[in-house]
Amino acid sequence: MDFRLTDGVELHIIKTSQFKNNQIIVNFGTPQTADNTTARSLLGDLLETSTHKYPTQTALARQLSRLYGADVGTGVARIGTMHTVRLKARFINDQYAFDGLLDRTIDLIHEMLFNPLIDNGSFDEPTFNLQKANLYSAIKSLDDDKQYYAATKLRQLYFDKNSVMQIPSFGRLDDLESLTAEKLVEVYHNMVSHDKINIVVLGDVDENHVIDQFKQFEFAPRHFDNDKLMYRQEPKDEAVNEEETQALNQSKLNLAYELPVCFLDKDHYAAVVMNGILGGSPLSKLFVNVREKESLAYYASSQYHSFSGMLSIQTGIQNVNYDRARTLIKEQIDDIIAGKFSDELMREVKEGLVNQYKTSLDTAGNIVERKLTDSLLHQEPDDVVEKVNQVTSADVVRVASKLKLQAVYYLNGDLKNE
Amino acid sequence: MNEHSYSKYDETIYDETLENGLVVQVLPKKYFHKTYAILTVDYGSIDQTFVPTGSDEVVTVPDGVAHFLEHKMFEKIDHDAFDLFGELGADSNAFTSFTQTSYLFSTTEHIHESLDVLLDFVQQPYFSSQTVQKEKGIIGQEIKMYDDDPNWRLYFGMLGNLYPHDPMHVDIAGSVESIDKISSETLYSTYDTFYQPHNMNLFIVGNVDPAEAIECVKDNQSKKHFDEPSNPEVRFELNDPSGKDVIPFRTLEMDVTRPKVMVGVRGLEQIAAGEAGLRYRLGVELLLDILFDDTVDNYLRLYNNEIIDDSFSYNFEMQRGFHFAYFSSDTDHIERFADEIIGILESAHQQIEAAASQFDNIKRAMLGRMIALLDSPEAIANRYAGKLFGGTNLLDEITVLESIKIDDLYVIAKEFIQSQGISVYQVVPRHSN
Repeated sequence: MDFRLTDGVELHIIKTSQFKNNQIIVNFGTPQTADNTTARSLLGDLLETSTHKYPTQTALARQLSRLYGADVGTGVARIGTMHTVRLKARFINDQYAFDGLLDRTIDLIHEMLFNPLIDNGSFDEPTFNLQKANLYSAIKSLDDDKQYYAATKLRQLYFDKNSVMQIPSFGRLDDLESLTAEKLVEVYHNMVSHDKINIVVLGDVDENHVIDQFKQFEFAPRHFDNDKLMYRQEPKDEAVNEEETQALNQSKLNLAYELPVCFLDKDHYAAVVMNGILGGSPLSKLFVNVREKESLAYYASSQYHSFSGMLSIQTGIQNVNYDRARTLIKEQIDDIIAGKFSDELMREVKEGLVNQYKTSLDTAGNIVERKLTDSLLHQEPDDVVEKVNQVTSADVVRVASKLKLQAVYYLNGDLKNE
Repeated sequence: MNEHSYSKYDETIYDETLENGLVVQVLPKKYFHKTYAILTVDYGSIDQTFVPTGSDEVVTVPDGVAHFLEHKMFEKIDHDAFDLFGELGADSNAFTSFTQTSYLFSTTEHIHESLDVLLDFVQQPYFSSQTVQKEKGIIGQEIKMYDDDPNWRLYFGMLGNLYPHDPMHVDIAGSVESIDKISSETLYSTYDTFYQPHNMNLFIVGNVDPAEAIECVKDNQSKKHFDEPSNPEVRFELNDPSGKDVIPFRTLEMDVTRPKVMVGVRGLEQIAAGEAGLRYRLGVELLLDILFDDTVDNYLRLYNNEIIDDSFSYNFEMQRGFHFAYFSSDTDHIERFADEIIGILESAHQQIEAAASQFDNIKRAMLGRMIALLDSPEAIANRYAGKLFGGTNLLDEITVLESIKIDDLYVIAKEFIQSQGISVYQVVPRHSN
């Protein structure tokens, strides 16, 4: 059931008795800018730490334990060019706990969103300073995950220098410094008053009762006209390369291609199938040839990013095998463009994608995310099974022909063992 | 087929032990689209000294054989099990722990065919020197990938402190050197010893009819010939059960941005297997929550003093023959972290008293999180630990948890937390010379 709470604030309820848990997501969306990303990320951290009624994280945690270990927290994410701060709640159904667990969880969500620890125009100073320091440490230590590090470096090479896509949804160290407890109040008011808000509730709930509960939230009407979520940039004529050396046991080779097919395009599902054939599963050409046949790697895979028109390939190798890995990767793409993949592989990849889709209907979190994306794009849910099955080999070849190498990042691990 | 009904949670589990000893359990989920099945062998990385079936001499196989076997089971003389699952549209995978090896699939169609593929590829081994050689490159890269992961190094560094002369201190995958010594003969002899139907269990959760699923498994098994069953004779004894061999402190230098520190506690008491073991595990988990979870005052004090941050976590692991807990955080105050955690552990009795008013809420939260897991076929099936906890499942766990009282925690704390079993491991940024 879809319900409009006020202009720019939508409520979607998915009633189901499949699950013993209920899910709620409150999504705040606005176009991402260089200025707003880091501030909103820190704001999310502050909102889940404390409120006036629960002024310490211990007080808030105790309330969650009274709600039978409910998970209620905030996070940030990007949907195309939109930056989102979302509050998510997972909690068990009333029948396994007590009557009114749902209502009390919604009360807590209200408290976290509308009664943050702000006094005299400023967030609580000690809380602010601590959360700022923690966000700084969290961003910094991401570099210790080398797969993640290489993927980040690749994105920086791929996207235009001044593009917001350069900035991860959780923000940048450089932007943290200038944030203050007063400035964050402004960011808070801006988010609550002007962001596009989509709420999704899933579970064995009484729909009218849920609507009544959310009607009591003080959402002001807002106007949101930026519906262009897809990112586009002009492709580079020549790929950019970057190499870096670190004392590591394993080298990371990451490549980015332009794949000008977006989520809403007719060719979207052809791109999904093509990615499945290239590197999306243990049946894929990258897995079979780079890992199984030549045992160069433990992981060798590809990913299609449908909101930014990019396809990335990642693998972990020994540095002496760099040239061989580059050659093999190129061969796999050339093979697909030349139509060199079996009908059997095509069928298996499609069946695998259908299976994945149907399987995702058993995870409440996935259903809620899908509903959120569909509602942000104002589209009816796709018949995924039908669309995947309609893709032909010729579609795959056509889409693969559009791949254009744009960036190569190589992290050379030169630690010698014995 | 036996039926166990848990009406409070609208769930029923069916089980049957087949003639050849294979234990099969089914939990139907009628509103679900998928079926998840996991076949687990009661055999893992630490079971490396044993008497091979048909022999009477004890052998010790190289580190990493259990994990190597897991990889090699998929490859057959003329096909790969991944492809067979692929043809059916099913996802498949496998993993190895210290004491178990598991093979699994998840599918929305062709459930019976997928069950056949699962049972057939795990019950019909094929190893050749050529395919064994090839796998060494792949697993070598897997090992190196983990070698670059500071959290993995922290965890195995701690196991090296707690069990310095026992097989748990070695990476489950072994090392590049140890896997080089593995041959197809090693794999066959290990396989024959452990991969016997009575040493395995199959757990199926999802959109299935339990009687049909069990019939399908029976059918599959009746067509196969199995050797006369023998009980795997594993020679596993802790090097020093008193824990005097625990290394109290070590440090590793690595390219990390922030120091990481872990405090470990090795349990020194022998814990009975069966439901008593499960009760002990849940008791320790509640104990750790009442000492350290974010609803107690200790947590807030450590957090506000920047001794811990959101990276703080703790865990308790109980497997066949050993159990330990660990607490870790990224922090700029590694010494204070260790002092504080150990201080709280060693004064557990007073700490429980101080946090007693939180006990009901902590237990309620744990109960809620366990009920939440009933939505996950993977969680239900993967949590099943077979003989270790007397064949109990997640629903039995809920019942056992409900019966634990705060008084139990004082007893458990005294048993579990002994100074002899406590250790500290650090990963610190490398100093450039």
